[in-house]
Amino acid sequence: MFRIALKNILGHKARLVLTSLAVILGTAFLAGTSVFSATLDRTFDNLFQDVFKNIDGYVRSAEVVEGDFGLQERTRIPIEYVDKVRAVPGVADVSPDIQAFARIIAKDGKPLGSEGNGPPTFGSVAEEFKGALWTIVDGAFPKGANQVALDEASAQNGGYVVGDTVKVVAQAGSRDFTLVGIASYGDVRSPGGATFALFDADTAAEFLGKPGFIDAILVVGDGTRSDTELAGDIDAIFDPTARVETLTGAEITKETQDDIGQALSFFDLLLNTFSAIALGVGSFVIYNVFSISAAQRQRENALLRAIGASRKQISRSMLIESVVVGVVGSLAGLIGGVGISVGLTGLLEALGIDTPNSGLVVPSSTVVTTLVVGVLVTVASAFLPARRAGRVPPLAAMRATALETTGPGRVRTRSGLGLIGVGLAVVGAVIAGASNSWLGVGILGVFAGTIVLGPVLARPMALFLGRPAAAMRGVTGTMARQNAARNPKRTARTASPVLIGVALVTAVSALATSIKGQINELFTDQFKGDYAISTTILGFGGLSPSLADDINTIDGVSSATGIGTILVKIGDKGRNLTVISPSTFDANYDIGLVGIDAKTLDSNGILLSEKWSRNNDKPVGSTVTVTLADGTERTLTVRGLYTKDDAAVRGWRGVGSRVVSREMFAGANLQSFDFGIYVSVSEGADRAKVRAALQAVLDDQGQGKLLSKTEYIDEQAGEVNQLLGLIYGLLSLSVIIAVVGIIITLLLSVFERQREIGLLRAVGMTKSQVRTTVRWESVITSLLGAVTGIILGIGLGWTIVFALRDQGLTSFQLPAGATVLIMVMSFVVGVAAAVYPGWRATRVDVLDALVIT
Amino acid sequence: MTPRTTSTVAGRTRGATKIFGQRDAVVRALDDVSVEFRAGEFTAIMGPSGSGKSTLMHCIAGLDDLTSGTAEIDGIDLSGLKDKDLTELRRGKIGFIFQSFNLVPTLTAEENIRLPLLLGNEDGDEAWIQRVIDTVNLRNRLTHRPSELSGGQQQRVAIGRALASRPHIIFADEPTGNLDSTTGTEILKFMRRAVDELGQTIVMVTHDPVAASYADRIIFLADGKVAGEMVEPDPGKVLDRMKTLGD
Repeated sequence: MFRIALKNILGHKARLVLTSLAVILGTAFLAGTSVFSATLDRTFDNLFQDVFKNIDGYVRSAEVVEGDFGLQERTRIPIEYVDKVRAVPGVADVSPDIQAFARIIAKDGKPLGSEGNGPPTFGSVAEEFKGALWTIVDGAFPKGANQVALDEASAQNGGYVVGDTVKVVAQAGSRDFTLVGIASYGDVRSPGGATFALFDADTAAEFLGKPGFIDAILVVGDGTRSDTELAGDIDAIFDPTARVETLTGAEITKETQDDIGQALSFFDLLLNTFSAIALGVGSFVIYNVFSISAAQRQRENALLRAIGASRKQISRSMLIESVVVGVVGSLAGLIGGVGISVGLTGLLEALGIDTPNSGLVVPSSTVVTTLVVGVLVTVASAFLPARRAGRVPPLAAMRATALETTGPGRVRTRSGLGLIGVGLAVVGAVIAGASNSWLGVGILGVFAGTIVLGPVLARPMALFLGRPAAAMRGVTGTMARQNAARNPKRTARTASPVLIGVALVTAVSALATSIKGQINELFTDQFKGDYAISTTILGFGGLSPSLADDINTIDGVSSATGIGTILVKIGDKGRNLTVISPSTFDANYDIGLVGIDAKTLDSNGILLSEKWSRNNDKPVGSTVTVTLADGTERTLTVRGLYTKDDAAVRGWRGVGSRVVSREMFAGANLQSFDFGIYVSVSEGADRAKVRAALQAVLDDQGQGKLLSKTEYIDEQAGEVNQLLGLIYGLLSLSVIIAVVGIIITLLLSVFERQREIGLLRAVGMTKSQVRTTVRWESVITSLLGAVTGIILGIGLGWTIVFALRDQGLTSFQLPAGATVLIMVMSFVVGVAAAVYPGWRATRVDVLDALVIT
Repeated sequence: MTPRTTSTVAGRTRGATKIFGQRDAVVRALDDVSVEFRAGEFTAIMGPSGSGKSTLMHCIAGLDDLTSGTAEIDGIDLSGLKDKDLTELRRGKIGFIFQSFNLVPTLTAEENIRLPLLLGNEDGDEAWIQRVIDTVNLRNRLTHRPSELSGGQQQRVAIGRALASRPHIIFADEPTGNLDSTTGTEILKFMRRAVDELGQTIVMVTHDPVAASYADRIIFLADGKVAGEMVEPDPGKVLDRMKTLGD
């Protein structure tokens, strides 16, 4: 049977290519993302290996506050420690280190680096040092309060040469410096695409953080003792209450690599999730191709059965075939995957992320995983069709056309409806109050049920959706409609990948539309001013807190208030507090304070959302103890509560659950930036003039983006679109596989219907009519998947929104625009998928088709 | 069963030659064949296997092209026509009845009958179509699909389709080849009626003497050449003649 299997494969090369295509697409993404993340990991590993190459010790505070998304803020240490460490025997050289937010303003007045979602923009220290990270390639190291050096890439992108005046924005505001040097980082012009403004230690401390404080001390030993001994000796000179720790060079390298690895792991998870979806969609296509090819070989298999082959042999022959297809497809997928990862790396470079080239990393685990997963998925997808092939009665060999399969059975209807019923019941239970974690089960049930029920639904739905085609296109439309309905199992299997892709896209769109709707309502409701100054920088850095003060001095501005955030510890958990300026807050922003005004908020007070107060048992008058990033504690009294807790959109700059005054941490040694400034114009002032004046201040400082109230609201909502774009991009692969699935099915159907096409051509069907028939069948199939997918997707979207109700997402909104777009797209996809099969159909030789008996 | 003497020519070939293969493996399927099919006549083309009878039919029906010589339908030379024009010619002027797989499985009997008209987006002559439906006796089977019809009924639908557009000429390729003799006879009678009552022109390719005896005239082919003609045939005479052709 092995030889028969092999002959079968070689005898039907076209079919092999088609089946493999589905495997290739599914595995290529898997391999591609795996190679890409391995390469990225290695790149960063090498980078930090390089950075800390000459560093033997790393001295820093042991106090750290860790927030969400890997954000953390470590307590700074006094600059005097530098000399203390230098005096330790065995230390050859030391250098103070600071890594803080700073943005370089290019010559054309625009800040360098992408806003918010690109690589970070740093301010740091560069001094003469034996373990030097920075090498000056032009000019000299910066010395004194007016000098700066830039990394090579930033100097070039900013259009700067040594001697120029460079504007830099940091926590202390914006300031002009003289460019004295251009530096490279190891052998790269700019590490990982980040931008660096470099100062001497004192200037960096004063401008980037707090005068007299630094982040860490870099140590180079003289070689008389091991790194571990050296670290122990350094630790020994500090009092335990100073909370100082010393890491060896190897430890800090490892920690930094792990931190990056962790940051990348979220990205990996995202890529892996979408690879899995793509592979799942691909397995449908593989299953479909094997099912069709089993049906087309029915007579051949029946003949083998008639002359004595056992059921097992027939099935096994097909399984062997699937193994070969799996291996061939996965190998090709692996190669394609390497290509994809090269493309992704190229994309990073195009985005300006300059990474040291450590070559493509293809881990053996990727090779093994890709092959194993590819083969397993292929064989598993071929299992049922193979079993079915073995069951063919020998008598089928005698029948002329045995291709029409019977309709779906009652078992299918019952189990499909059963699954949907159970799924809906579980979702219902969650709505009634059961834990959200059950939602997954419910959703899976509904999806599985729908797919099981597919063949039952396919015929009536195809006939319904095909009505306009039949009405518009006459007999070609009628035939397309009947063709789409004639083999409901096949149509359902072809439409299923479309269904899954469309359902996910619809659900994501529904979620995004709901969030956008809510953001819109929220800001319309809460933002009372006329203008907003925003930044898309989030997490690391933002607007200088001094900017709001500068805005307040503008003629015609009645009041401007900045809102920012700081990271603190409450208990042992890192939490963000929203920071306001009480005196100007009320005029510009309304958070629904109950019974008090924000202006009464003092430095020892805190305002809480009603929900947080209730959930944490912190009524008005009780106290909340917070630990700041510099290690100091504050005990705050709850002064009042507010109702507008927009926690769901916390990521989108609403006011969260806890609000404190800027005064609370005045003088503390920590970072705090504003994420927005809200501005009210005085009555009777010339708005155009005020706007121009505002813009002038922003231009001068090189930070912030001026927006009117409506522009601001639109922009806040628009940020959701970025995330949406990313998810659409990742889902597009599944959609491509679904389209390939339609193409393959149509090709096989055209092959199967050669005689019919020949007959039609003989009695007068033109080539263009042949194409029309194929095209409409394709469109009907595609729409079938899209319509079902949209219905499921809206349900799924609603369920997710419901699950997020505790996060503050309260209103579900239908993604009307997206739905219309999906319908139009699936129509286009249907037309596009039919191009090649349609062309093949016109190539059917009339005589050949008629002569076959 | 008298041939009409005043008849015009519905289709003809002149010096039709068809060569398959190249160089060493050349087969002359048709070798200088000149035949005429008169309008309103039922003509059978007979010959042993490989005599070129099917090829002749394919070439004159616009399904295949000649290597040399001409084929004409209704005075139109087929050799100069593009695929689109040929398709339209087949749809409008020619009817087909094949041995098997004659019908589109997804269409009803009535849709199959009207297929050439539907493809041409024409209404056709409704009275004529109704007459055709009665002639092939399918009025109570119109909404059935081919899979719900017997072999004989399926061939009757095929005859109906061939007649529906009132074509200039109908070609039938072994129309009874897949049927038992009773059903086959019935089909031949329907074809005879189409000629006698509806005035149609039919050219039938067959190797069955009984089937051929329903025709007005038989053209015999052997080795790609015309090997004679017989008017007012009967099965016995045809059989004798076939024996001389060396089947």
